[in-house]
Amino acid sequence: MSDTAATMTFHPQPTAGAAKPWAFPAPERGELPNGLTVLRCHRPGQQVVAVEVNLDAPLDAEPAGLDGVATIMARALSEGTDKHSAEEFAAELERCGATLDAHADHPGVRVSLEVPVSRLARGLGLLADALRAPAFPDGEVERLVANRLDEIPHELANPARRASMALSKELFPADSRPSRPRQGTEETVRRIDATAVRAFYEAHVRPSTSTAVVVGDLTGVDLDQVLADTLGSWSGGPAPQRTYPAITADDTARVVIVDRPGAVQTQLLIGRIGADRHDRVWPAQVLGTYCLGGTLTSRLDQVLREEKGYTYGVRSFGQVLRSMPDGSGAAMLAITGSVATEVTGPALEDTWRVLRTLAEEGLTDEERDVAVQNLVGVAPLKFETAAAVAGTLADQVEQHLPDDFQAHLYARLAETGTVEATAAVVNAFPVDRLVTVLVGDAAAIEEPVRALGIGEVTVVSG
Amino acid sequence: MPMGHTATQQAGTGGLKATEHRLANGLRVVLSEDHLTPVAAVCLWYDVGSRHEVKGRTGLAHLFEHLMFQGSAQVKGNGHFELVQGAGGSLNGTTSFERTNYFETMPAHQLELALWLEADRMGSLLVALDEEGLENQRDVVKNERRQRYDNVPYGTAFERLVGMAYPEGHPYHHTPIGSMADLDAASLEDARTFFRTYYAPNNAVLSVVGDIDPEQTLAWIEKYFGSIPSHDAKQPPRDGSLPDTIGEQLREVVEEEVPSRALMAAYRLPHDGTREADAADLALTVLGGGESSRLHNRLVRRDRSAVAAGFGLLRLAGAPSLGWLDVKTSAGVEVPDVEAAVDEELARFAEEGPTAEEMERAQAQLEREWLDRLATVGGRADELCRFAVLFGDPQLALTAVRRVLDITAEEVRDIARARLRPDNRAVLVYEPTAPAETDASGAAGDDQDDEGDRAQ
Repeated sequence: MSDTAATMTFHPQPTAGAAKPWAFPAPERGELPNGLTVLRCHRPGQQVVAVEVNLDAPLDAEPAGLDGVATIMARALSEGTDKHSAEEFAAELERCGATLDAHADHPGVRVSLEVPVSRLARGLGLLADALRAPAFPDGEVERLVANRLDEIPHELANPARRASMALSKELFPADSRPSRPRQGTEETVRRIDATAVRAFYEAHVRPSTSTAVVVGDLTGVDLDQVLADTLGSWSGGPAPQRTYPAITADDTARVVIVDRPGAVQTQLLIGRIGADRHDRVWPAQVLGTYCLGGTLTSRLDQVLREEKGYTYGVRSFGQVLRSMPDGSGAAMLAITGSVATEVTGPALEDTWRVLRTLAEEGLTDEERDVAVQNLVGVAPLKFETAAAVAGTLADQVEQHLPDDFQAHLYARLAETGTVEATAAVVNAFPVDRLVTVLVGDAAAIEEPVRALGIGEVTVVSG
Repeated sequence: MPMGHTATQQAGTGGLKATEHRLANGLRVVLSEDHLTPVAAVCLWYDVGSRHEVKGRTGLAHLFEHLMFQGSAQVKGNGHFELVQGAGGSLNGTTSFERTNYFETMPAHQLELALWLEADRMGSLLVALDEEGLENQRDVVKNERRQRYDNVPYGTAFERLVGMAYPEGHPYHHTPIGSMADLDAASLEDARTFFRTYYAPNNAVLSVVGDIDPEQTLAWIEKYFGSIPSHDAKQPPRDGSLPDTIGEQLREVVEEEVPSRALMAAYRLPHDGTREADAADLALTVLGGGESSRLHNRLVRRDRSAVAAGFGLLRLAGAPSLGWLDVKTSAGVEVPDVEAAVDEELARFAEEGPTAEEMERAQAQLEREWLDRLATVGGRADELCRFAVLFGDPQLALTAVRRVLDITAEEVRDIARARLRPDNRAVLVYEPTAPAETDASGAAGDDQDDEGDRAQ
């Protein structure tokens, strides 16, 4: 059977050459006369420039009963301006070979432009028009609302999204914004009109509370002039100071089954909230969470996938909801994946066993070392493109972090020991403080899940 | 008509160069230097995909790809993943109709490790391949199938469209994921035979792109891959040629629990690598490639009859390419109304062709997509392999965007007229079995999406 192996010459595993220095790029920070903060970063060879704009328009600022107005506003920014109709605007963008996306999340609205550097001025001009003078035509807003209502059933039908919604509803107090869907419910979206969209825009969108991040190969580009001609023409008054309610969650151990009769898999989402990026434990939490479920060779997949074959893959992650210097922020900490319906009970049992073993025995030094080598080593790969760099710089701004946070994070990860990483991940995923959401066939999975004793079980309709 | 679009200065090569080499055992090698970032991409394309599978063994090429991560003579168990990730690299493999690829992106000083790993499994996989690994990965792949196709709304649409567009017995009639029954039937002996048939240096192309020393890299490649014997067990794939058009309108109606009605269709289009395929790409972009496309403007903006409407292109070299129409209807809208509107737009386009502005936009979009693919060393390595394996010349990767920009509006109109016709499509209609219910808590869309890299 080893017919071919017999004739191949084997060599010992090679050792690495000398590492070449690489550092997360340091942006240059400045401000335009209109108060807009600008971060710029020259990345040689990156011909598609990425521009990220943070607007300080958080979901918490949506008026009561109008959940989703931030989303509709974000989408409506590109539906016509004082210069172009909605159709013309889309055509002009595509003429530049550009894409423009806007997205509302808890910390604020993010607008992302990608455009070949040869057409940067035109692309930035269109972006500036969208921010400075959106038309918000009644008919277009009405269409966006109808379209959003049509999207909702598609999201509910998606097991991963359905699980995410159910977990948010369970974890957060009912009157808090994070408990409710980011893009609104059918009831709230229906109430949104152009007047509400414009009011939200006028209250929360202005250059003095916004930041633009520009990353790409800027050789030969007079960026100051281009910015002055485009985003520099955006104006708006000063903003009142914003206050944020602290994010709290009830992580009493319990199980919610969202019933999907006949489903061939169960979507798992097991979570709670924990430390955000301002917390000193963040690097240790990143490291420990990676060891638990960051990749195929992490503890969860070693058992659930590579030993048992229950799943295509299970991951653990920490995702920032809001990150604040005053400690009022939080990250969602969760384990997610899907497993075959008939092995749902055993897969959960194994998940809990992995967590218990981790708490009892801790991580090994070898595990910690490999994780550090990966998390630190992949940085030059991860930040090859302008879009990746711009996205991270914009995240830092949105999360009130210094511009060199990511650069220092790598040094902090390298300094994090096995004991700290173990403590962080065990604190992040305590077996008796986890809320489990299962989207699957209740008739098949309810009994085995009850038998596990991982919390009170309730079944809701899918 | 003059070309509507002026290429950006960087269009195409951006100064990129690639050199070609061939080892004595037939392994083709493509190298491309770029010292801007200290990373190097290794990409290995084996000229085998689901089109090489036989009846009763669909999904074998993809299942086999998983087995390539289960260790080889000098690499234990999951060692491939462990060693690459431990070196600060990322890796994966994918299987399509026409090829199987494996790739690592490494910090530049770890390049040699990736080459050693790829050579070890190319030359000695069968030493480590066992029943236990096969059973485990069979279960993993079946769960992959459930997760990506069987447990999501419209998840099997692509499989159904392909099944109609390529007739029974055609090598592209089935998709790479395969059927559950065939996955169950695959044996260890099937896997061994598959390896002995297709996993040979003379059936592969290796590209290395990035911050490399070409001379040193070539020396490593010779050292690790040079002694792997070539073999010629491979038969040419079954003929994938078909008439230019289907000749009739095929149709399937699926009644399933889906959130809305849908109209999908597969059009038979020219083979990849031809001017006509590039013209078809432009036609589909003008018709359904973005927020300024004709179908989006008509169905989503003006008629408000669709949540989303667009066209995609699956480029294929060994069989006709496939243009994929996907329209999800708005609440209360019937499929025949949407279909009539689509037909009207396609007919008008076939008659008039694209406007100069539409050509400019479509070419600008395709150019940016190309720049995006070339923005990473991994993307470049993959494209060099693609053109080497499918068209015999990696240099074609560096001029691909120029060819798209060279297409005229007349060519776009002609291809639309010849191919985007009702008698050249397979139509798939979805009718929901139950009214889309919304939960008492109110419907909504959370958009948490933070999956890390999915292994395999």
